Amino acid sequence: MKHFAKIAVISCAACLALVACSKKEPPKTEPTPAPAPAAEAPAPAAAPEQPAPNADSLAAEQARLEAERLEAERARLEALINQIMSEDVYFDFDRSELTEKARELLAQVGELLIKEKRFTLTIEGHTDDRGTEDYNFTLGAKRAMKVKEFLSAYGIENERMESVSYGKEKPKVEGENEEAYSQNRRANFRVNIKQ
Amino acid sequence: MKKLLFFLLVFLAPVVSFASIDTIAVDVGISVFKTMPLGVVPFNESAGIDWIEEHPHQILTRDANLSGRFDVVASDKFNLALFSRSHAEYYITGKVEPQKDGKLRVECYLYVSKSKDLLLGESYTVQQKDLRRAMHAFFDEVTLRLCGERGVASTKLAYVSKIEGVKQVVVSDYDGFHRSQVTRDTSISMMPVWTLQNKGLVYVNFKTNRPRLYTKNFGGSEKPLFSQFDQTYSPAVNPRTGELLFSSTKDGKTDLYLGNTETGKARKFAYLKSNQTSPAWSPFATEVMFTSDRGGGPQIFVMNKDGSDMRRVTFMGRYNERASWSPSGDRIAYTSMDNGKMNIYTCALDGSDIMQLTNNAGNNVHPTWSPDGKLIAFSSNRSGSYQIYIMRFDGANVTRITQGGENTSPTWSWFYDNDKQQTKEGAK
Repeated sequence: MKHFAKIAVISCAACLALVACSKKEPPKTEPTPAPAPAAEAPAPAAAPEQPAPNADSLAAEQARLEAERLEAERARLEALINQIMSEDVYFDFDRSELTEKARELLAQVGELLIKEKRFTLTIEGHTDDRGTEDYNFTLGAKRAMKVKEFLSAYGIENERMESVSYGKEKPKVEGENEEAYSQNRRANFRVNIKQ
Repeated sequence: MKKLLFFLLVFLAPVVSFASIDTIAVDVGISVFKTMPLGVVPFNESAGIDWIEEHPHQILTRDANLSGRFDVVASDKFNLALFSRSHAEYYITGKVEPQKDGKLRVECYLYVSKSKDLLLGESYTVQQKDLRRAMHAFFDEVTLRLCGERGVASTKLAYVSKIEGVKQVVVSDYDGFHRSQVTRDTSISMMPVWTLQNKGLVYVNFKTNRPRLYTKNFGGSEKPLFSQFDQTYSPAVNPRTGELLFSSTKDGKTDLYLGNTETGKARKFAYLKSNQTSPAWSPFATEVMFTSDRGGGPQIFVMNKDGSDMRRVTFMGRYNERASWSPSGDRIAYTSMDNGKMNIYTCALDGSDIMQLTNNAGNNVHPTWSPDGKLIAFSSNRSGSYQIYIMRFDGANVTRITQGGENTSPTWSWFYDNDKQQTKEGAK
């Protein structure tokens, strides 16, 4: 359980790192052409006396806005990723069919993925503690696949999704009772960001 | 007309799917197996030995009790009246003397109780830490002499042990002693099986965030197996060729593959619509048992090694999984789920003659046969945590062999062909 939490944190951190890195590049290409005409345009109109301090403060202001925009974008992506990673899909015992609730939830995830084209998903299938390790791997795989098929039908490209089964090896809740079992019969997501 | 057809489809569809779960009631049998009483008398121990291990007669007593073949008649000294009354026609004793170099010289004897004729005498000169292995070797000689079959006192178990929260593969003697850790990863290791001649293990590890097979010879380094496949698990070593049968999952579908661990080449074993896992070879590798979900839940099927002639084996209950083929080839042990509890059963190859071996004691899973077919090791959480147990093939004589932590998924080694050599080298 601890281990799993660690992985979640790591992958979350990895995602953020990716956001941080990947977000730096587009601004470099986008804004550079944008301020150029802006700087040129006022030049002929206004007096050429004090271009230096003006340009400086303009650039500083722009950098500040850009940093703010990046920060906001990062926070937004982080929130989205957290949302997707917290949206676990639950299953009935020894079943891999999606429940009505699961479909509703997956539709929301699908919507997010359509908007955020750079998100790719690892879909993890899990089972509860009952039964053998071997069969639970196949069961977890079936669950992850059902989720992948749903999202594929929703319009998410297959190349953006991979599925993996953890069988009963990574329970969310420890314990030998239906409460724990029902929490562990699930599929969950790890989000990565494509460059 | 169309309406009628629609009606038929809607109402017959469930009937058809129910028909595929053809559950039938079968009587569960009880077997009676006679054990041989065997006298055990403490060895004549020279004074001045600083005992750190158990004494020789204690080790032999445990071997005899675990063997499933003998009942120990314990006596402080030779006692003909007691041995006769208990039908112990044979008894074991011996003597221990310290050597100058700190080793122990242990003489072991098997006598006929009535006549005091010597049937077997062996001597071992070993460090005290290797006394256990020497006694196991002697006990295997006793079994061979009295039963005409090889015993398993010198065999080992591989299993999974949670160490600092992570599942690791470990190996120990069959009685749980001399445990050593095989994997040391931060990610889960599981499902160990023995390669031929007990040279090493094949197991699953999650270091790539997916289940994947690896192999490691004892004392060697780890090698990934069949990395051309996505998720690989459920390994089963062909007892004749060493080839590996395993499950691989791709796009949610799980199939069996047969691969060569040396060349890394593998091919699909059978083309089936259902998912297949948990393969088990027959003793001569002519047939394979496996689990298929084609009836909805897991059931055990058998087919020839070329993938032909598939038949269903288990019919009782809705969850029968992970067959393990007995060394004599006439029965399988498997795990069945009933009311959410897992229990171990055996049955004949056609699914008849079902025997329930565990009952009313937590979950009992992962049966594995001893190479002589007399014992089954398994894991159970009857004590509150999962531990490894050994029982006789009929469910009698359940003995816990691991203490503390969490221990699961035992796999019994093959026979060691160089038993004797091993104990002699054990002194090194």
